[in-house]
Amino acid sequence: MTAAARPRLRFLSSDGRRIGTAATMLLLAPFFALLIFAFLYPLGRLLAVSVLEPTPTIDNYVRVVGNPVYAKVLLRTLWISGLVTLLALVLAYPVAFVMTRVRGVVAAFVTACVLLPFWSSVLARTAAWAVLLQREGVANTLLQWLGITDAPVRLLYTEGAVVVAMTHVLLPFMILPIYGALRNIPPDYMRAAALLGAGRGRAFLEVMLPLSLPGVASGSILVFLTALGFFVTPSLLGSPQEMMIATLISQQIREVLDWPFAAALVGVLTLVVSLIALAFSKAVRFDRLMRAEA
Amino acid sequence: MVTTRANGASISIDRLEKRFGAVRAVDGVSIDIAAGEFLALLGPSGSGKTTVLMSIAGFDFPSDGRILIDGADCTYTPANHRNLGMVFQRYTLFPHLSVLDNVAFPLKMRGLAKAERHARAAEALATVRLAGYGDRRPAQLSGGQQQRVALARAIVYRPRVLLMDEPLSALDKNLREEMQLEIKRLHSQLGITVVFVTHDQGEALTMADRVAVLKDGRVQQIGPARDLYERPATLFTAGFIGEMNFLPCDAAAVGDTIEVRVGTAGRWTLPAGVAVDPLAPGERALLAIRPERVTLAETGASNVVPARVGDIVYAGAALLVIGTAEDGTELRARLPGAADLRSLKPGDTVGFHFPAEAILLYRAGPAR
Repeated sequence: MTAAARPRLRFLSSDGRRIGTAATMLLLAPFFALLIFAFLYPLGRLLAVSVLEPTPTIDNYVRVVGNPVYAKVLLRTLWISGLVTLLALVLAYPVAFVMTRVRGVVAAFVTACVLLPFWSSVLARTAAWAVLLQREGVANTLLQWLGITDAPVRLLYTEGAVVVAMTHVLLPFMILPIYGALRNIPPDYMRAAALLGAGRGRAFLEVMLPLSLPGVASGSILVFLTALGFFVTPSLLGSPQEMMIATLISQQIREVLDWPFAAALVGVLTLVVSLIALAFSKAVRFDRLMRAEA
Repeated sequence: MVTTRANGASISIDRLEKRFGAVRAVDGVSIDIAAGEFLALLGPSGSGKTTVLMSIAGFDFPSDGRILIDGADCTYTPANHRNLGMVFQRYTLFPHLSVLDNVAFPLKMRGLAKAERHARAAEALATVRLAGYGDRRPAQLSGGQQQRVALARAIVYRPRVLLMDEPLSALDKNLREEMQLEIKRLHSQLGITVVFVTHDQGEALTMADRVAVLKDGRVQQIGPARDLYERPATLFTAGFIGEMNFLPCDAAAVGDTIEVRVGTAGRWTLPAGVAVDPLAPGERALLAIRPERVTLAETGASNVVPARVGDIVYAGAALLVIGTAEDGTELRARLPGAADLRSLKPGDTVGFHFPAEAILLYRAGPAR
């Protein structure tokens, strides 16, 4: 092969569908630059701080795991995230199902409602919950009017408030992957199931639900991992006695100024997130086998 | 055992109608299908054949009319209570289940214990010659194998009727022919009633006991393959099934014989039986004849149309001569491949001879 026949830099292959190595690197460069300088580098520095300052030590990690106060924050964070994931799943699945079954104006309306949260900031939505849940808020008025309580109850600054608001904020991240999975199930599968003798409930349990599980898994992992690091909502709606880990990290940095310990908390959180993501990627291998067409 | 002779059910489709607004997708279709019969629903897309099948399956409810299976009205019975088998156009094996579990699925829905349903599923797989494939995933099988598994799944619970919605259209030609034989074999082995939807006339003619030709939601003709081919009842069927020459003409006199004026080719006297549609003197008509019934002759004789030869295509068993008559009509003659036509060249004028016994006459349809 002569050098002339093979240009050194090729941006597009002859069929125009694949791009050359140089083009690939060029197109990905800004993203990777940002990833390295704005995420990996600072994270690395932070993790270095957690074991090196003021002298090389693992004491900070021992403190996170060993001190019941901090271990409890970690466990509470996992618990709240799990609860939010479960609640979001229960709320999201029926919505996603309906989205695959409606047409026209109704479909546009439901989709808009699902995407609506994306058009406003997390802060705005959290503040809205604060208004709803305060002592003289709509929720308390409603509870008293219904006769469930006589006097206003404390709704704001509770774990419940955090869970409800976080579920609301994260719901689209659960709905969309499930919707995607359900929409990819060809309608002929359900027809085949019906003709083979499965009633609606049976067909759902035996065919539709299993085929939608990859979507459920993606949605759950997305919501759970995002919830683990949630800061705004727990800080504004939660009680200081029932902190989540992001709030604790912020407090350590801004109030206590204990950078090495805050860094160790970040290290633990990163480890937990990585382990879960890893377990998830192993778990989704099997759904390659489940693809409808080879 | 799967191989025992399960008796098929008779199906009676009674004045079926399906309207979508002003459109009639199915417009008064009545077909009686005998128990154990193999019926093909043949038609172009939009002819209503799939809607008829979906109504039998219970996926679509008609606007009017009834469907009786073994005499019982089940027009509005839900699909899962009809006990029918069906193979779909697209592969519909459940991707999350093994091949064996797919075939066992209908048995599971009927409450059979695991051991028994697996035994029967394995037996059904053997019936479609896929014994030993039970542990695989559907995605690991070829298209033809997947359709055979779908077939096994559709017969494992011994339904009375097997519905097929163009099940072979996604397969390549060789595989399709192999599957046609497979389905025929299963049909005679099981004695099951088969309703087979297709737009492939060759498939319909080779496989079915009877073929129902549909167009615009109406049955054009229903009968055995030979009847459909030899004497199509309508102009549409004549053009839709097989190759056909159409030559415009006028009915001149109608009596014990029928006399037609064929352009410049003169007046031909034909037996009255050639007229499929009743014709009145002076009415415009179309003279139809299969290319393989046409022979070449000297011009000037009766029943001969002079035409200029365009192409001569040698195709082994047959020789195709394409000519153009003086009025511009294209004429085709399929002659035995052994015919010696070396003297014939494109551009020559030759007579296309239409033997009277092979001619069919139709009333000319509205100008297209």
